[in-house]
Amino acid sequence: MANKKILIIEDDPDVLQGMHIRLKASHYDIFLAGDTFSGVAEARKSEPDLILLDLGLPAGGGFVVMDRLKLIPSIAIIPIIVVSARDRLENQKRALEAGAKAFLQKPVDDAELLAVIRRVLGEPAARREQPAVYDLGSI
Amino acid sequence: MKEKPLQILLVEDNAGDVRLLREMFSKERRDAFQLTHLLRMSEAETHLAKGGVDIVLLDLGLPDGHGLDTVRRAHAAAPDVPVIVLTGLDDEALAAEAMNAGAQDYLIKGQIENRALPRALRHAIERHRMQRETDLIRTHQMQFKDEFLSHVSHELRSPLSAIYQFATILRDGIAGELKPAQHEYLEIVLRNVKQLQSMISDLFEVTRLQAGKLIIELQCTSISDAIAYTVDTLQGAATAKGITLSSDIECLLPSVCADPTRIRQILVILIDNAIKFTPANGTVKVQARRLEENPNLMVLEVSDSGCGISADMTERIFERLFQTSASEGRKGLGLGLYICRELVTRQGGQIWAKSATGQGSVFSVTLPIFSLPNLIAPAFRKKGCENSPITVVVTEIGSQTGWLSDKVRAEQSHGVRDVLQSCLHSSLDVLLPKMGVAGAVELFFIVAITNEVGGEAIRKRIGEQLHEHIQQASLTLSTSYKSLGPTKRSSTDSMDDCLEKVASEIQGLMNNEISSRMVEHG
Repeated sequence: MANKKILIIEDDPDVLQGMHIRLKASHYDIFLAGDTFSGVAEARKSEPDLILLDLGLPAGGGFVVMDRLKLIPSIAIIPIIVVSARDRLENQKRALEAGAKAFLQKPVDDAELLAVIRRVLGEPAARREQPAVYDLGSI
Repeated sequence: MKEKPLQILLVEDNAGDVRLLREMFSKERRDAFQLTHLLRMSEAETHLAKGGVDIVLLDLGLPDGHGLDTVRRAHAAAPDVPVIVLTGLDDEALAAEAMNAGAQDYLIKGQIENRALPRALRHAIERHRMQRETDLIRTHQMQFKDEFLSHVSHELRSPLSAIYQFATILRDGIAGELKPAQHEYLEIVLRNVKQLQSMISDLFEVTRLQAGKLIIELQCTSISDAIAYTVDTLQGAATAKGITLSSDIECLLPSVCADPTRIRQILVILIDNAIKFTPANGTVKVQARRLEENPNLMVLEVSDSGCGISADMTERIFERLFQTSASEGRKGLGLGLYICRELVTRQGGQIWAKSATGQGSVFSVTLPIFSLPNLIAPAFRKKGCENSPITVVVTEIGSQTGWLSDKVRAEQSHGVRDVLQSCLHSSLDVLLPKMGVAGAVELFFIVAITNEVGGEAIRKRIGEQLHEHIQQASLTLSTSYKSLGPTKRSSTDSMDDCLEKVASEIQGLMNNEISSRMVEHG
């Protein structure tokens, strides 16, 4: 079976690279974008199975990306996971209302990230990748 | 430059006092003061609300206002205008209280000197202006600090994220095989990343606490579950340090009225601290029981065999940014216990510590026990227990996909509660807090003091009011109601007995509703 395709839209190049390496190691095909505009363009071009989306992006931001994608029927159905450094309390609700499947707060635990990706893609969860329960940041 | 005359409002009903004061002002330059005289507090309030007054001279015994109340009313009508109270010779105590209530100064009738009066007025105005300015600066500073903290904690998360990602990439061997020492050092990096992460969360939490943005959702919460969860979560950290972490929970412990997320947060902070300050081979123990002195309260205790706290410090440790000398070399912001205390008090409880240096510490938290009789008591006190009909309205919110995720549950429950609250029949009806976890759906219970007809009316109203909300969020809604017959209650019961009976009937009904869903959904 072909690898699933994931598009990462993230403006911090280090975080972008880190996620790229991590997810490639878990056998996903990765596409990258660093701002609002190229994020939407890359989504049209590569038609990924899943989008990991930062909220604070140049030239608009994550919520703008979500609005634009909704207008394009072929990619409107692609599931989105928001990965942001912003405060969960204020942004999780808004992200989910805008159609995101999940909100993850940076720094995201690797196991949690992979577990959520698997769940959203409908893949069986690997046992060793169950999310770590002890995470002060998410309490 | 010519100064504008000072606008003085004199509120005084004694003609003699008014004449005296008028005389004093008449000796001053004509353009320096302009005196308006009113007899009643109500007139003064109207006049003050119009603006233009620089200072108020206020008598404390008016026909329509007395004592401190008049000061408060003057303040409410014009918060920016300083007030000087006029009192009799034997009333200095009252004058002092008036100052506490916000008056700038007081003058004793019959002892006012001609030349001192204008000076007293000008000083009062100046003092008042300075005070307002200081208050304003302080408010701005607090606001700036909150925004700053929120900004900083956000900005710290991105670089921390990159450090975490690359450290785990190295540790997991994605970039090549590691020697054991290299692996160990990366674990140290990651441990410190975790520390920083929790400090940032603390900063955020404190900002939220102070900005009043913290959400606490009180519900019927099982303490045993919260303890089991936290002990399980922190077992790894304890074992790693060679510490025995155990819990001892009284069986048949009642539920508390609290937010389960916040209870876990409190327990994590307390147990985490206990582990931090306890050396290897020590013990940390979590206990819960009903408080003997007050059966309406539950007490949670986290005790350790650690280094202890000197007796004079057991209060101060809950202050913001406090760190003991024992915490030297241990990393933290000194915010954990402060957050703890805030969370506990906002849920109607108390927290304290008992300790002595070298003898371990015991941290105790009290929380109100969840009591259905207490919740429904106001209605019955008013209506009389034995005759009032009772109908329990059950609202079930589910997901169109068949499973309501915890996230959606949390997102939706506030909105749904607000709508349900607006559907109540009378002010005596009670929308109960969350009563339990019912499998794949969320259940809301209303105890209404009405019969079937009223129950049907509420059911209909809920359907109408929630319809749109439910559609938008792809949820499902079903509402039903059940009336309790009055037969089982006898008029010879005392109010408390009767309440207990009714409550246990309602509880039984709710338990059935909850458990039937558990079975349905496995």
